[in-house]
Amino acid sequence: MLEVLGVSKKYGKLLAVDNVSFQVPDGTVGILLGPNGAGKSTVIKSIAGLVRYDGNIRIQGKDARDMEARRIFAYVPEIPNMYEALTVSEHLEFMERAYGVTVTQQERELLLSRFELLDKQDKLGNELSKGMMQKVSICCALIIKPQVILLDEPMVGLDPAAIKELKQVVLELKAQGVTVLISTHMLDMVKELWDVTFVMNKGHILGSYTREDVGNEDLEELFFSVTEAKRPEAEGGVE
Amino acid sequence: MNAILYLYRHTFRNRLRKAIRKPVTYVYLAIIILYLFMIPFSFKTMFSEFHMDNPEGMAAVLTAFAFWIIPANLVAYAKRKGLLFRKSDTHFLFTAPISPKKVLLYAHVKNLFVNLFLNLAVALCGAYIFGVTWWQMILYFLFSVIVENLLESGIMLLCYGNQRLGEKGRALVVKAAYGLVGILVLIAAVGYAKEGLSWDFVLGYLHSDAVQMVPVIGWYTAVIHLLFTGPTVVNVIGSVLYLVLLAAVLLGALRMKCTGEYYEDAMKFADDYEEVLVNRRQGRSDVRLGKKKHFGRAAVSYRGSGAKAIFYRQLLEYKKNRFFFFDMTTLFCLGGSIFIAWLYHSEGGFGDLTDFMIPMIMAYVVFIFTTLSGKWGVELKSPYTFLIPDTAFNKLWYATAIQHIQAIVNGTLLALPAGIVMGQSPLTIGLSILMFVMLNACKLYILAVAEIAVGNVLGQVGKQMFQLFLMGIGISVAVIGGILGMMVGGLNLAYIMITVLLAGETAIFMTIASLCFYRMETVEG
Repeated sequence: MLEVLGVSKKYGKLLAVDNVSFQVPDGTVGILLGPNGAGKSTVIKSIAGLVRYDGNIRIQGKDARDMEARRIFAYVPEIPNMYEALTVSEHLEFMERAYGVTVTQQERELLLSRFELLDKQDKLGNELSKGMMQKVSICCALIIKPQVILLDEPMVGLDPAAIKELKQVVLELKAQGVTVLISTHMLDMVKELWDVTFVMNKGHILGSYTREDVGNEDLEELFFSVTEAKRPEAEGGVE
Repeated sequence: MNAILYLYRHTFRNRLRKAIRKPVTYVYLAIIILYLFMIPFSFKTMFSEFHMDNPEGMAAVLTAFAFWIIPANLVAYAKRKGLLFRKSDTHFLFTAPISPKKVLLYAHVKNLFVNLFLNLAVALCGAYIFGVTWWQMILYFLFSVIVENLLESGIMLLCYGNQRLGEKGRALVVKAAYGLVGILVLIAAVGYAKEGLSWDFVLGYLHSDAVQMVPVIGWYTAVIHLLFTGPTVVNVIGSVLYLVLLAAVLLGALRMKCTGEYYEDAMKFADDYEEVLVNRRQGRSDVRLGKKKHFGRAAVSYRGSGAKAIFYRQLLEYKKNRFFFFDMTTLFCLGGSIFIAWLYHSEGGFGDLTDFMIPMIMAYVVFIFTTLSGKWGVELKSPYTFLIPDTAFNKLWYATAIQHIQAIVNGTLLALPAGIVMGQSPLTIGLSILMFVMLNACKLYILAVAEIAVGNVLGQVGKQMFQLFLMGIGISVAVIGGILGMMVGGLNLAYIMITVLLAGETAIFMTIASLCFYRMETVEG
């Protein structure tokens, strides 16, 4: 389970995130939605431990900053940044060592082949295209067998085959009881994946909705109905 | 540590493998080896002239370096700027279950190879230049590699990663570092007031007991003096205090709380650093690490269409700049001109070189700034430049027009004050300005030629070497023309020959660049 409890973050005088709370239970796919500048990236960076924040973030009940929490948490950033002098397979081996996981050669090859990277194993980080970097970034997150995974715009730059594969992977993770949180603007891509969605704007969570809550309503319609409504009304209506 | 060692080992190995395959590596290696042989020889002569070719001289040199390096490191670590993190570290290391202290050590250890190499060079130089015994050099090498690195790592951990220190605590460390420098300056000022300025005073100051009593910096110099000049009461006490400091720092570093609160600052540093790298690759030197450029409000009215739009867009950008298109080169030109004028006035001329002093300085200024291309370099990389529906020649002209105007201003600043003081005729001054404009134009078009000719083959450094090579040829041809002109018809003909030849070269490079521009346009399209 991923719990974000009263998280606030200031950049100088600017309050980017104001007392944000939400939780994504085990085996659930959560979607973080919001227009540009809503504070999604700040929430994501806080969960990943990349920025200072006030409040608490818990991963499977442990403080997100604890080593034990980090060991079971995987993160796919919006823009992948490879080590330019490490090959694809060396990136994976580094992750295995850093997270202390044992992965068989067969498992590793299976993962790489799912994202069509098997023949790119010996390519250096600076020899990869943006799409390939994104695939490697996803593989690096999956190789550690996480219990909680955070994907920030994971489909940007991916080809249709990789998007299809990623969707399948997310469904498999969900079936295995993994907590998944995806931040994306590509609403069409996640319409068959999501269980719970959090709509953010101006540093606040405007509402959280489960699939059961909204019935047949489209994610896009939901997004516009929430963000275009006045904030106090929206808050009153959904919390 | 297993993962970090893996990362360090494999990054180093892959870089080495890649470098071995590149011919340019061997050129750099040859240059480094040449330097390594040349520097000790030239330094030996210089130090013996100053009677410093002895172990005391070695202690004095290392003391002087310590005055600069130790406070600079302290300030950098306290400002969370002294460690080189990349975006890949943000992606993989900061989010991994690796102790944030180890992540700091990883960034510090990145410099270990260079550190080892430099210390070895210093040890060898010590034996050769300063006549220090081998056992002393071995001891110094071990001290600098082990003890100094341990202390620096500890201070780095305490300043950069210690969460109990907080922002105010780190600001205090910065103030303390400046305070230590202040004490050193005060000691120097008191000595100067008593003895006056002389070489003996400088040496005496560097060896003084007072300096060795200054915390951190002075204690380090006490160890150095103990090692090279023998024990005294002060340097033994200073050395003991250095070791006590080491123990305290290491203990503090082991105990301190560090859960990765510094990642936010390190991440910002990584972003800023990569931005600077990208800009440097484009030949822009005006972007400084961590300094955001501020733009004012401005407006231009566009006249005409096609490539003229590039000119007006550049004009708008320059108008938003605080100093319009005046930059370091402008200051350099004005400063250079005033310096030439002052030197001419105080020396009464430059002998045979008097008439050519200004063109020589101009050639030097353009040559050393050859690889800095300003807006033009950015223009060349922009797809919009190629997509504008106009001829390649027009684009080339309008994209560089403002830089030609800039060259006229800079050339005037360089040629006019010095020319007037030196009593040059208006024709000579005018031709000098024209020379500067032509030299600059050559530089600009050479960048385009180099981009097309070798940009994809040699990489960034290779391309810059090629630019320098072409610029060197261009200047050499003009110089030969100038010499011939001087021999045949005197000074005015020499100036005219240089200007005409530079104009011819500009036309040639511009034509090649416009042809390449067209080709690039076709390929890109």
